[in-house]
Formats: sequence, structure tokens, C-alpha cells
Amino acid sequence: MIHDLIAIIDEYWLLLLIGQYPNGPLGGLANTLILSALSIAIAFPFAILLAFARLSTYRTLRWPVTILVYVTRGVPLLMLVLWSYFLVPLLTGADVPSFFTMLATLVVYQGAFLSEIIRAGILALGQGQMDAARALGHSYFGAMRYVILPQALYNMIPSMLSTFVATIKDTTLGYVINVPDLTFAASQVNNQLLTQPFQVFLILALTYYLICWSLTSLTNVIERRITRRRAGLAPKRRGQLAISLTPNATEQP
Amino acid sequence: MKGFDLADILANPEYVAMLVHGIEMTFVIAISSWLLAMSLALLLLAIRFAPGRIGNSVVAAYVSYHRNVPTLVQLMLWYFGIYTILPSGLSDWLSAHSAEMIFAIIGLGLCQAAYFSEDLRSGLRSVNPGQMEAARALGHGYVSAMRFVLIPQGVRNALPALVNHSVSLFKNSSLAIVIGAPELSHAIKEIENLSFRTFEIYLIGTLLYLFFSLMIMTAGAYVTWRADPANGARR
Amino acid sequence: MTASLSTSGKDQTIRLTDVRKSYGDYDVLKGIDAAVSRGEVVVICGPSGSGKSTLIRTVNRLEEINSGSIFFEGQDIHAPMSGRELNRLRSRIGFVFQSFNLFPHLSAVDNIAMSPIRVKGIAPAQAHEKALKLLERVGLREKADSYPAQLSGGQQQRVAIARALAMEPPVMLFDEPTSALDPEMVGEVLNVMKSLAAEGMTMMCVTHEMGFARDVADRIWFIDGGQIIETATPDEFFKSPKHPRAQRFLADLRH
Repeated sequence: MIHDLIAIIDEYWLLLLIGQYPNGPLGGLANTLILSALSIAIAFPFAILLAFARLSTYRTLRWPVTILVYVTRGVPLLMLVLWSYFLVPLLTGADVPSFFTMLATLVVYQGAFLSEIIRAGILALGQGQMDAARALGHSYFGAMRYVILPQALYNMIPSMLSTFVATIKDTTLGYVINVPDLTFAASQVNNQLLTQPFQVFLILALTYYLICWSLTSLTNVIERRITRRRAGLAPKRRGQLAISLTPNATEQP
Repeated sequence: MKGFDLADILANPEYVAMLVHGIEMTFVIAISSWLLAMSLALLLLAIRFAPGRIGNSVVAAYVSYHRNVPTLVQLMLWYFGIYTILPSGLSDWLSAHSAEMIFAIIGLGLCQAAYFSEDLRSGLRSVNPGQMEAARALGHGYVSAMRFVLIPQGVRNALPALVNHSVSLFKNSSLAIVIGAPELSHAIKEIENLSFRTFEIYLIGTLLYLFFSLMIMTAGAYVTWRADPANGARR
Repeated sequence: MTASLSTSGKDQTIRLTDVRKSYGDYDVLKGIDAAVSRGEVVVICGPSGSGKSTLIRTVNRLEEINSGSIFFEGQDIHAPMSGRELNRLRSRIGFVFQSFNLFPHLSAVDNIAMSPIRVKGIAPAQAHEKALKLLERVGLREKADSYPAQLSGGQQQRVAIARALAMEPPVMLFDEPTSALDPEMVGEVLNVMKSLAAEGMTMMCVTHEMGFARDVADRIWFIDGGQIIETATPDEFFKSPKHPRAQRFLADLRH
């Protein structure tokens, strides 16, 4: 069994890593990571805007965004992918590569989830911080920029990292619209080999496992460091567990 | 493209039948895998708390695998991988009994069990340590303290997370489309192919999923509300 | 060894002999020798970090000790024993916590009745009736069906006392029972404790409430640095403490 796995990796590692490139678009694991990173990078500022809208006192801002967030959370990602695949070419009038369709979907999807986390993080700081800032003469946005967001976002770094891991897992949905990512590359390998599907998919599973597990471990290390900094290096009292500052972001699928 | 026309789909008995069948299959998957996941989660928890370090490591490994490998890939490994290396007697039996559904249930159930067991574990851990002390000081043994004091509170604490993950489980049933299970998303795609009314069928599908998700969330909110002792729940 | 014990062996409900405990390198209890007789009320006081909370928690083995022995009703509670035996002993020692630790998922009456039913196997109807009587005793009969979240701190602590009494222990231990209460609620809890003492309950009480000590205690153990520095009757202790550290402690209290 192990011998089979090594043989397959030995033969196909380049395909799994970068897809058909240079005989086609970039694919494989590289594409998976680029897609994930890009989605998070764009989703993040988008999420901050959404969070502000949800916290706003203006109903015209609050309601549409609230509806967007609830719909995104209530509908399977698959459905959103299908919608994008249908709408994006329609709206842009061009033949859009599936990569960008998937990117748009993930930005909206992760943006909605992130905005909830950011909103919770801001609320968790309490009204006291905003009051103190306003009392000193800051405007609302000034207070947000210099007082609230720096704290909330710092506290949320672990959540962001775990959202990145979740995004890597979500990119697999691209399979249904033929995004050239790692999963697609693995199914290509399987179609060539035909006789060792178990081995191929095992390699696929283990690859994702290694990547996500490493990133999650990194997240835990960073979270511990942040918790310690924020708690002022207070010693743990008997029987007390260190409290997590971040709302849980256990994402699916 | 023809104008927007929902009736073209909703008035067509063939399409409606396909939708209904899809909904049925989605619920079969969701409910079966939920039951599997919950029972397995309790078992995992029991193993974790068993004396010795092996139980803890085994469960930790199980949880780690299912949380770090994408659910879609897990399903693929089950259906495209494990299915093909099963002994022929078993795989023949499976083929005759909608293997796609069975593997969807197994794959989703095993995956969610990891999340449920972690939710329950967090719920237990967040119970004030003073509770165990108070119970022991009154003379309760470990099992008695767990049974009457810790676990009731732990489960209550875990309810919000359990509800969230139950909604996720329901939504994940759509992933079974890649292994060919005849659930709702599959039905939607089929109707799309037959009717070419992509927008309408997607809209119907979205509303259906939304409706059921909200239903589950509401039921969950009710259960959480009832479980709070201040709301008159009897022990 | 057994220096300042003023009672004979037979009547000693609790007897501590050379009790020592350390957390790693840090010695918390450095050789405690003392005894409590039946019906006696002992108040343990001392500065922060003196080990008084740790001491009282060793008596029902919520904390382990490194050496020495603690005899309760003739049995060394720190000897190796079966879990069942330890549970039995614990059910005969009432313990009241600083943070009450009521069970939030049970109503007041259920908090009190649950352990007699589940631990001692008493019939539910009987336990329930007894629970209501105990609630009456601590002045909270009308709160029987309330949940801890709906009760004030003072009320919660009184329910906690009733809960401990429900097991019919011959001894009650109190670990700073009023320290977590707002000042206006301290009195109602102390009154319950005073009435218990008046009925002849054997009590050990860690507290800062010197008024209570003066009114009710038979003896005061002054602890500092993990040792009992001075034991005396309230009269002796408050009027003329012998040890300089005890004198300083009392002076600090009066500031």
C-alpha cells in the first residue's frame, strides 16, 4: 500500500502541485492556496464593511446586509457556487474562467461569515471603549479606526486564520464547476490511472490534512500568545481555564 | 432567453415530483447521518474519558482527521476509494441498496460526529469547576456527580454549537451530489438540464434550502430556550 | 506534638495531627496539630495566604495532604480507601463554599433534595419534605421553586447551607461563607450560622467576620505562614493576644 502511494506521488507530484501549467492554466495545490489566500484577502475588507452596515443605525444599510448574511448562512455553499456559475458570466457578459467565479463565491460566502465574527468581536469589547473614545472627542469612525478595530481585529487574528483554513476546505466545492484545483488534479490522476482510486483519494485526503493541520497548529500557537498578551500575563488560577477571546469559527464543509 | 416564469416548473408535475423526491432524499440523508453522528459522538466522548491515555489520543486523532480534511474529499474517499476496495460480497450488496445514499450517510455522519463530540466536550469543560467540588463535598461519587450535575449542565452549554452544526449537517447533504446521491441539489440540476429555466429552479432551490435551514434553526432555538432552567424546564 | 489541645481524646470529632501540605516547592501547611470536639465552634482566621482555606479543604479531602493525619469520627480521612468509603465520609461532613456552588440547573428545593435521594437513597417524597423544612429553617420557604439565577447572593448561600444540612452531617465546615457577599447580605447568612451553633452543631469556620467569632466561637485558631500560631477563647484572643503576629493582625483589622 505504502509503496503504491509513493509510486503515485513520485509519478504525478507535479500535476498535483501546479496542474496543467504550463500547458494550461495554473492548477493543483498551488491554485488551491492562491484561491484561498486571494478570497480571504478580498473578503476581509468586504467583511469589515458588512459588519459596519450591520452595526449601523440606518435601516436601509442594516436590513439588506442582514438578509445577505442570513441567506449565505442558510444556503449550502454548493447552491451559491451554482448561482455564481450562472450569474457571473451573465453579469460580466464575458466568458469568465471558473477560478474567478469561485473567487467571487468565496468572497461573498467567507465575507458573510467573517462579518459575523468581526461584529461579535466589536460587540465583545463593550460600549465602554466607544464611550471613552467619544468622550475624548473622537468621531464615530475615528473611534472605530483608532480604538475599536485595532483591538477587535487583533483579538480576531486566530479567527481569521481558522477562516483561512476553512476557505481551503471550501475551495473543494470548485470541483462541481471544474475549477483546476488540487481536488480536480487528483481526479485527473485517477482518470489516468483508473486502477488505484483508493490510493489516489487517500493521497488527496492526506495532503489536505497536512496543510490544514499545520495551519491549525500555527493558529493555536498564535492564539495562545495573543491570549497571554491580552490577559497581561496573569498567572492561571487553580481550576480556571484560560478564556478564549475569539468566538468559535468552526467552519464547514 | 424566455421571460421569468415560475409556473413552467411549479405547474409541471414531473418536475415537482423530482423536487419532492429530492427533498425526501435530502431529509433521509440529513436525519440518518444526524442520528449516526450523535450516537457516535457520545461513544467518542465515553472513550475520551476512559481511564488511560489511549482513549484520548484515539479520539483526538479521529477528530483531527475529520476536521482538517474537507468534507467533500471525505465523501470522495468513501465512495470512489473505499467502495472500490471492499470485498465483492459487500460491495455487491451495497450496489443493490443505493450505495450512494449509504456512503453519503456514513461519510457525513462520521464527519459530524467529530464536531458534535467536540461541542459536547467544550460544553462539559465550560461548567464551573466548583460544581464538581460541590457535588463531591456532598458525597457524590464521580459517576453520580457527572450524571446529575456536570452532564446536564454540559449538554445545555453545548446546545448552541450543536444546533449550528446540525444546520451545517443539513446543508452538507448537498455535497452528496458529487457521489451521485439523488438529493435536492441533484434534482435541481436535473430540472435545470431539462427545462433550461436555470434562474427559476435555482430560486426555488434556494428558497427551499433557506426554509428548511431556518426551520432547523428555529427548532434549535426553541430547544435551547426550553433547556434554560429559568424558563421553566423541569429536570 | 499535641500541644494546645484542651479536650480529651474521646470527644474529638476532628483531630489533625502534624498535617503538612506543599504545592511543589511551596509549603502551605507546615505541621498543623489541632482538634475539634463535639459541639464546638472553631473559627479559623489569619492573613491572606496563611493557608486557612487550604486547611479547611483538607478536612474533607478536597485537598490532599503530604503527611500527617486527619481523623474524623475515628477514621483517618486521608488514609488510602475506596471511593465509596470516601464518599460516605464526605456525606457526613457538610461543606459550604465561598462561591456557593449551587447547581444552576436545579431549583432551590431540588438542589437540597437531590443528594439525599441520589447519594443516600432516601425516598424522593421524604427528601422533598425535608428539603422544604430546611428551606423554612433558613428563611427561604417561599423560594423553593426558584432557580439560583433568580436568587440574591445571600439567598443562594442560605440555600447552600440548607443543601449541606440535608445530608444530616454531624459537622459543618464553612470556607469564607460571607466573603463573596455584598455587605447587606452578610447578616442573614451569619444569623443562620449562629442558630446552627446554638443548636450544638460542631462547626469549623474560616472567616473574617470577627463579630461572629466573638459572639459564637468557642475557640479561635489564628493561622499564619501555614501554622497555628495561637489558639484561644474569643475573650482571650481579642482582649490580649499573646503572639505579636496575632496582635498585628487584630490591629490591622481595626485600622
